[in-house]
Amino acid sequence: MLVVKCPVCGAEGDETDFHAGGQAHVRRPASHDPANISDAEQRDYLFIRHNPKGLHFERWRCDRGCGKWFHAARDTLTLEFKAFYGIAELPPRELMEQANGPWAEYFRQRLAAGTKP
Amino acid sequence: MSNKPYRLAHGGSRIDRARKVSFTFDGKHLTGFAGDTVAAAVMATGQRVLGRSFKYHRPRGVVGLGSEEMNALVGVGDGARHEPNLRATQVELYDGLTAVSQNRWPSLDFDVSAINNKFSRLFPSGFYYKTFMWPKRFWKHVYEPFIRRAAGLGKAPVGRDPDTYEQIHVHCDVLVVGAGVAGLAAAEAATAAGARVIIADENPLFGGLADIAGGTIDGRPQTEWVKEKTQALAEAENVHVLSRTTVVGHWHHNHLMLFERVADHDPALLAAGTPRHRLWKVRAAYVILASGAIERPIAFANNDRPGVMLASAARAMVERYGVAPGAQGVVFTNNDDAYLTALTLHMAGVGIRVVDSRARAEGELPNAARAAGIDIATSSIISAVHTSLGGLGIGDVKVAAYRRGQGRVISERKVECDFIAMSGGWNPALHLWCHNGGKIRFDDALQAFRPDRHADAIAAVGAANGTFELSNMLAEAHAAGEKAAGKPSGRVAPIAEQPKQKRLEALWFAPATGKYNEGNKHFIDFQNDVTAADLELAQREGYESVEHTKRYTTFGMATDQGKTSNINGLGVLAEATGKTIPEIGVTTFRPPYTPFSFGAIAGTLTKKLFLPIRRTAVYQWHVDRGAVVEPVGQWRRAYTYPRTAEDKHAAINREILCVRNKVGLLDASTLGKIEIKGPDAAEFLDRMYTNTFSTLKVGRCRYGLMLNELGFLTDDGVTVRLADDHFLMHTTSGGADRIAAWLEEWLQTEWPHYRVFVTPVTEQWSQFAIAGPRAREVLAKLAPDFELSNEALPHMTFREGRLGPYPVRVYRISFSGELSYEVATPANLGRGLWDEIVEAGREFGLEPYGTEALHVLRAEKGYIVVGDETDGTTTPYDVGLDGLVSKKKADFLGKRSLQQPHLKSTDRKQLVGLLTEDPNEVLPDGAYAVKEVKDKPPMEMIGQVTSTYMSPTLGRSIAMALIQNGRARMGETLSFPLEGKVVRAKIVEPVFYDKEGAKLNV
Amino acid sequence: MSELHVESPLSHVAAPQGLAIGLREMTGRGMIDLRGGAGDAAFMAAAKDVLGAALPTQPRTSVSWGDIKALWLSIDQWLILCPGGRTAELLAALRTALAGIHSLAVDVSDMRAVIRLEGEGSREILMKGSSLDLIDGSYGPGAVRRMRFAEIAALLHVVDDNIFDVYVFRSYADYAWEFLLATAREPAKIRLFGRQAAPV
Repeated sequence: MLVVKCPVCGAEGDETDFHAGGQAHVRRPASHDPANISDAEQRDYLFIRHNPKGLHFERWRCDRGCGKWFHAARDTLTLEFKAFYGIAELPPRELMEQANGPWAEYFRQRLAAGTKP
Repeated sequence: MSNKPYRLAHGGSRIDRARKVSFTFDGKHLTGFAGDTVAAAVMATGQRVLGRSFKYHRPRGVVGLGSEEMNALVGVGDGARHEPNLRATQVELYDGLTAVSQNRWPSLDFDVSAINNKFSRLFPSGFYYKTFMWPKRFWKHVYEPFIRRAAGLGKAPVGRDPDTYEQIHVHCDVLVVGAGVAGLAAAEAATAAGARVIIADENPLFGGLADIAGGTIDGRPQTEWVKEKTQALAEAENVHVLSRTTVVGHWHHNHLMLFERVADHDPALLAAGTPRHRLWKVRAAYVILASGAIERPIAFANNDRPGVMLASAARAMVERYGVAPGAQGVVFTNNDDAYLTALTLHMAGVGIRVVDSRARAEGELPNAARAAGIDIATSSIISAVHTSLGGLGIGDVKVAAYRRGQGRVISERKVECDFIAMSGGWNPALHLWCHNGGKIRFDDALQAFRPDRHADAIAAVGAANGTFELSNMLAEAHAAGEKAAGKPSGRVAPIAEQPKQKRLEALWFAPATGKYNEGNKHFIDFQNDVTAADLELAQREGYESVEHTKRYTTFGMATDQGKTSNINGLGVLAEATGKTIPEIGVTTFRPPYTPFSFGAIAGTLTKKLFLPIRRTAVYQWHVDRGAVVEPVGQWRRAYTYPRTAEDKHAAINREILCVRNKVGLLDASTLGKIEIKGPDAAEFLDRMYTNTFSTLKVGRCRYGLMLNELGFLTDDGVTVRLADDHFLMHTTSGGADRIAAWLEEWLQTEWPHYRVFVTPVTEQWSQFAIAGPRAREVLAKLAPDFELSNEALPHMTFREGRLGPYPVRVYRISFSGELSYEVATPANLGRGLWDEIVEAGREFGLEPYGTEALHVLRAEKGYIVVGDETDGTTTPYDVGLDGLVSKKKADFLGKRSLQQPHLKSTDRKQLVGLLTEDPNEVLPDGAYAVKEVKDKPPMEMIGQVTSTYMSPTLGRSIAMALIQNGRARMGETLSFPLEGKVVRAKIVEPVFYDKEGAKLNV
Repeated sequence: MSELHVESPLSHVAAPQGLAIGLREMTGRGMIDLRGGAGDAAFMAAAKDVLGAALPTQPRTSVSWGDIKALWLSIDQWLILCPGGRTAELLAALRTALAGIHSLAVDVSDMRAVIRLEGEGSREILMKGSSLDLIDGSYGPGAVRRMRFAEIAALLHVVDDNIFDVYVFRSYADYAWEFLLATAREPAKIRLFGRQAAPV
């Protein structure tokens, strides 16, 4: 039973008071250019997720608290949460730099494009 | 001294000789003293055998002193209060206690299955795997019943448990596991530093082994120091002390479960209604593991005979209960610590000698033993045990010369004795350390594993950390307590004095006369009857990984979790393979540390509280009216209202016809209701629904479809526009919470710029459908303050007003196909309004109808139910609702996925109606249509029935189904093979009643 | 038609016996769910005008004045409590004052059952159903917390030192009531972190 802390209202509690919402930073193509979405793009959006051993980035909701969604960085090996951050934010820079595999590539591009999530 | 009372004339720190306690063991009336355990009280009567072993049914006695006991498992209590598999060494005696031994038939002294022992060469490791493989049909009728009767530990209680159980969640700064001297020192330091501390111990009294360890702390006997520290902790406001409480598991982020046996020891507490067990779910900022160590047995031939005990247990029997393990004993050891047992027994007047496998025994304790005149044989082992009393006791042993690494036995001599106190060293109790992934390392000096790294905030101290020297132990514990509290305690660590001990020497296997697989069983895992030979055989058969060996031989499994067996087994495997123990590796320790009750796991959530049940404001009316109640998710809804002497089908048909011909009343309060408001509310709804809501006029209702991003139907319902920027959404009953969360999720995570508020209000309203041709007349009778005519309040419109004194929202929507009003009123007024409607409707023939009538009514109209006509892979096209999928909107949830070619393929299953050839034949729900009927499966399936009913309106059966390419097959007849017959049905349009919808617009 | 007939969610239960604390349903309470941005000055000002005091913005707190209380539920949501008779008037006033301001005010007086726990040991009973750390000092009088209670969603309002109001959705009222009856029994009473008998 993990302990989760909501960065919006500060509520801390058992993971059963929260709702896990899968991988963070998934871009929904239809919100941007609904008329021009390739099958590959749509496939990636729907089905392709990272599964790293180590640092991972996730969405959570403060289900039994303020009801707001937020992001979390968590080590999938030790289950330790490294950071909680806003739903419209990127993780702390040092975590983006520590990220591996597809996450490293993702954050590199994001940082290159400016930090707007 | 066999079968004579073993109670010594003096001694026994735990017992009160003034208070006699009567109990029964296997029906025999026995007497013990207050403070005894069942093990002590039974042994005091001279009885050695307390149980039979799991596989071979060998007679077994008490081996351990507490929770490590693996043999003496007993069932305690009668009938519904019976609890099997309790360790007799932990069960506290009370007046009237009844205990029974287990795993024997018909009696302890004579056991039919003990013949397994004679044929034990036929029961090697993996016996069941090897033997019961074929013929396959034998498994169910021959092998399994036989194995089940012969095996198994204990019997389940009969009847409903009369006791209560509960759970509690508690947070603390520091949880100290174990209240031996290390735990007490750590707790004292943490408490003095101001931390909120919980200290838990599985035993009734704190102190661990302090009472049998000798030595002094701060100049006083250990027991006095323990008493003072325990009292101080119990009185402190920032400490919670828990005795009889086992920390059974450690999980992520320092979440631990503590199993407290609140009332097991005292029937008066149970009678008063005290919860029998309490499960503590503790979240600790820091955990100090002071769980001590477990003494390990030695693998010598027939080391399981009744009368072979751990040295610490023999010592505790004398010190705590004044019970001698026998008259003449042998201490068999590879370390100094067991000499304490020799000294204790010697001083209690019990004859004792020592057999030490080491070449030299020159520590302070061996020297003291020597000085006391105790015979010590070094470089010696016990090579054979000869039984007496037909296997129920020990007659003599053979002591042989021993050189490490030497496999054979020389110069054996016979030594008379009736008990053996063995000690192969001590293993830190690492179980909790390992439950959540803690790493361990092998310590050569201890010949045992010690805690190493852990990702959680946890520290092991004292014997649990492999620190056995008392002063070091206390210093380490004190420091850990301060560290855990994060502050200095302002106190100094206690100072201790204890005889120094010399190093032990590993002894994983004591060779025997003859080969060890010939009648000489060297037990490693007593509880699972696994011997050294079994492990060696598994190794030879190629089970190289220790995890495979574990599963193949059952070594270290089940409730015992390798407490006494783990390291010995690894030692045997290491010697068999020529590897070192670290190379062999360890098997995984799993929770729970010791078994705990199902009652504690369930807590209070049984019976009425087993599942949260949701009731509408009118629930009691339904029940009073004799409704059959059905679960709809957590809701309990009226399914139908049978009258006296009316069966369910008749009742349902009557209700349906009442709606079609007169008027019916349905409690639809469970429908999800969500208020949605804001400048962007309409645009937001356009994103959420497949159809368009921005064009909906104020005061009007529209049916909408919701998809997930895969393009599949996930919910539907009618949404009302209350004002330009304000909507009220209805969801399915089951979808209420899910859809509210779904809306929030999209608002917050994808379109945070939308200015929209979403507030679920499902429970604010009672909502009733008044449906049927006379619905308007009923409503008119209720004195509405608004116009009811079809012109003023047409189909799919909404009014807010009053019915008499009742404030209402009235929606003219219909799920039955009839003229219908859904009337909502605040829930506290629900029952009142319902009663008024029933009263007003009497003259129009109004009757309540339940969910089954509702379903038939909608099926007659071909209205889908999400979850019946859809299965999570169904698109709007599949159910023929293409018209509700906007072609104009650039985006809505699921739109892009719907454009995938395979979701538009005509091969997909499409919703159709079905009429069976025999109008009285009702297809079963889920029945499969096949392309071609064959004698037997497999047959190619082309679709399935999704809803199926006898329609009283049509006087025949109707069904809906999802059929491959169904819409192009109108008029075709399909075959549905059922058990013993084939039902044929024609494909028709899925609307069976009032296709034009004329009845809706009256 | 006769008069309005009002039934609170737990109107059918009998007064409990043999409990370690006082337990009863609180009825007649008006409740308004108010949504608006804490950062929206116009909204906050309008709400203050109507209610008479500023909405609390500190998470998990409440403010109380006269016969009105405002409970913080989220950064954009409050539960306004008032005497049942004042709900309509207050709601109308809020809607008028908030016209043109992005907000949502809904009467939810009937949506929840309110159960009051009163007396020493109430916190421990709540901890039998909730994993919150209710004794660490952060739940003093006025504190508000949504939580998972037993198997359902609940809202806790610490009214005073040993007085707690538990709000549950109406349909779960019986479940919550039964859970409290079971855990509040006198023989199941427990006091955490206090003076105890020493196990020696």
